[in-house]
Amino acid sequence: MPSEVIEVEGHIIDSLILPKVLDVIVGLGADYEMLEVKIGKTNLDISRARLEVRTADEASLAELLAQLQVHGANPVETDDAEVVTADRDGVLPPGFYSTTNLPTAVRIDGRWHDAENPEMDCGLAILGDGRIRTVPMHRVRAGDRIVVGRDGVRVAAPERPRGSSPFEFMNSDVSSEKPKGVLVADVANRIREAKERGVRVLAVCGPAVIHTGAGPGIATLVREGWVDLLFAGNGFATHDIESNVMGTSLGVSVLEGHPTEHGHSNHLRVINEVRRYGSITAAVEGGYIDGGVMFECVQREVPFVLGGSVRDDGPLPDVYTDVVEAADAMRYLLPGVGVALMLASTLHAIATGNLLPAGVETYCVDINQAVVTKLADRGSHQALGIVTDVGLFVEGLCQHLCPTPPS
Amino acid sequence: MTQLSWGRRYLMCPPEHFGVLYEINPWMHKEVAVDRDRALSQWESLVAALRAAGADVELQEPHPDVPDLVFTANAGIVNDRQFVPSRFKHPERQGETPFDIEWFEAHGYEVDELPLGVSHEGAGDALPFGSVLVSGYRFRSDAASHAYLSKITGAAVRSVELVDERLYHLDLTFCPLDERRAIIAPMGWDAYGRKVMEALVAEPLVLDDDEALAFCANSVVVGTNIVMPSCPRRVGRQLEAWGFSVATCDVSEFLKAGGGCRCLTLALDVSLG
Repeated sequence: MPSEVIEVEGHIIDSLILPKVLDVIVGLGADYEMLEVKIGKTNLDISRARLEVRTADEASLAELLAQLQVHGANPVETDDAEVVTADRDGVLPPGFYSTTNLPTAVRIDGRWHDAENPEMDCGLAILGDGRIRTVPMHRVRAGDRIVVGRDGVRVAAPERPRGSSPFEFMNSDVSSEKPKGVLVADVANRIREAKERGVRVLAVCGPAVIHTGAGPGIATLVREGWVDLLFAGNGFATHDIESNVMGTSLGVSVLEGHPTEHGHSNHLRVINEVRRYGSITAAVEGGYIDGGVMFECVQREVPFVLGGSVRDDGPLPDVYTDVVEAADAMRYLLPGVGVALMLASTLHAIATGNLLPAGVETYCVDINQAVVTKLADRGSHQALGIVTDVGLFVEGLCQHLCPTPPS
Repeated sequence: MTQLSWGRRYLMCPPEHFGVLYEINPWMHKEVAVDRDRALSQWESLVAALRAAGADVELQEPHPDVPDLVFTANAGIVNDRQFVPSRFKHPERQGETPFDIEWFEAHGYEVDELPLGVSHEGAGDALPFGSVLVSGYRFRSDAASHAYLSKITGAAVRSVELVDERLYHLDLTFCPLDERRAIIAPMGWDAYGRKVMEALVAEPLVLDDDEALAFCANSVVVGTNIVMPSCPRRVGRQLEAWGFSVATCDVSEFLKAGGGCRCLTLALDVSLG
């Protein structure tokens, strides 16, 4: 939808210019969003309004702008974005525009183009056909045309879910003192609505999901089609497989809750066996893994990315040991994701948050409030934190979403 | 009633070079000849009428290249010792501005110019009323000029959109009489402008369409004296009832160029803000 930001200033309230401008916009069937209104304190002070107007097509936009100009409402003077060619691989030009995760548009030859894949902390590359993509530093190639400076770049204000959103009543981003049952039901509804809209649901899981006994719940959600994509690390996958093959998680019996003899090496033996098969999928097909989250992912062809870290045992053969490759693999799978569940994960939640556009509804569940806060502090302002035990949360989610209780 | 605080000192320019040499409003027709002698005698009568009404008249030197210099109302906006020269919409009149700036600089005014790219035609499109400056826009002045005008002069501006091309300047639709009263021609304004003016003018003398098109609003008020290009009986009776003395002054030669009494004068004793 073509749009333009216009500004009108003067004694626009007393002179009824502002209502007239709004009437002209609405009268022509266009939409507007008031971006900023500064109203003079006295009748001597001038007022100023900045608004974005949107029309169905370029021709109506041109007509609208011409009509608005008569009343002194003119497009905010903006220059085209400055573009510099990268001179070497993996390096952005000095002064490169550093992106946010918000919807971003770039002005080229007087026209605004939306960036296709908002992602924070990237550069903006102008492709040969005029498309704009965010590009992480390491993916830059010599010759890429990169936006530098802030001119000609427009970022849309973040928007919270509106209307009957169950989260409207929550005025804090992190809820530790809200009725958990209500929150779980609300998240379940949001997931259901998202699936109805046809967007994908991403689960990002930390190993505590398994330790707290939530593994079967996640497995059920995957089996029932509520999870379309899984991001985790070596620990989560290992303990998921360990709990299904050996009945323990990090050596502790998941059913009885006490350490088993020589259990501390169980996860190493599991990793070793999966390495013998060559991949988790091969281990499932060979009958070594016959249940759990990873099993259900393989069975239902739910893609997963396991990102490695320096402390990993093994690791499992599917784990990306190159973190840059891991992030790229996650990036590749993100388009179409509309809801992200960050479950008891710090490292992978933040890594995922770095890649997600701000429009993705993100729910961060952790027993530790600091984890939830950290995600928002790293720029994922759309994340809504729920401070609770992930085992209880997943169990509640299953009760809402799955007609049969978790197996 | 409180008389207008301004309107006792005017700048005027003799019509030695006046003529309809181009057409930039619906009243102008190049084939209609101006009788220059008659124009001069009408102009001299107007000067005499204003002086008789109690006004001082100062003169600006005419110039052969700019026939409309006679319409001094469009020279710019006076605010105490500040002068904001017009930025004329039509190139035909843009040549007047250097002469206007020259006169005001020579008379000790500080000249503050509007930015390039916006047009505003001076007192023709801006008249003080009460505590505000009413300014018209659309045909000659840009709405965008009003914010600049406000920044430069400190005046609170009420913008009014003009909608009838025959009443192309505000001073053809609006004539402040005192602090509460004004002659108004709402036919020249859009619905928003009418509301703004309705809220502003406590006691309006509303002209009908014929009266407006006879340029009744293009009058000069000097205290309780009014010099008008024409005055229908109904209008005259109302003005007299309010305590004004009306003098009419035939300016028919200037009407050929779309200008009346007010257009031929620029008040020099205006203080805005």
